[in-house]
Amino acid sequence: MATATDQVVGFGLVAFSLVLFVYYTLWIIVLPFIDSDHGIHRYFLPREYAVIIPVVAGLLLVLFIGIFIMVVMWKSRKPAKKSD
Amino acid sequence: MTKLGQWLCGLALLGSAWAALALAPPGLRLPAPYRQALLPLPVYLLVAFGCYSLATVGYRLATFNDCEEAAAELQEHISAARADLRRRGLRF
Repeated sequence: MATATDQVVGFGLVAFSLVLFVYYTLWIIVLPFIDSDHGIHRYFLPREYAVIIPVVAGLLLVLFIGIFIMVVMWKSRKPAKKSD
Repeated sequence: MTKLGQWLCGLALLGSAWAALALAPPGLRLPAPYRQALLPLPVYLLVAFGCYSLATVGYRLATFNDCEEAAAELQEHISAARADLRRRGLRF
């Protein structure tokens, strides 16, 4: 059996991705087929954000990965040889 | 054909089908709700794939069983290696 922390984190990730998938599917695929005066539209942002938010999140991810790589490469550079 | 070539061909096929329907030349016009759902489809598929990956990682993390014998064997290997290196003069 995996440790309790592992199980909590693992199943938490599964639940989070399930919620995210259902919400995003409703937003992108189901909402266009529902009349604009139905109450469900209150729970969703305007459709432009359905594209802007993932794109911005992706760019931020790439930015953080790039910064991490820069920091690691900076720290592991060898010091220049000193002359005696 | 390499796997990369196959994937690229598949992507090109799906991409051109999506572009053809999205640009909506007069012959191919879809009804309005279908067009509204079709336009963000590439981003949607990307997000769906990300969700699937996250769920798989989380599930495998939660269901990975401990391997008692492998752990014990690894500890043995570690102490044997330590003793060997100490004998050869490496200090740590």
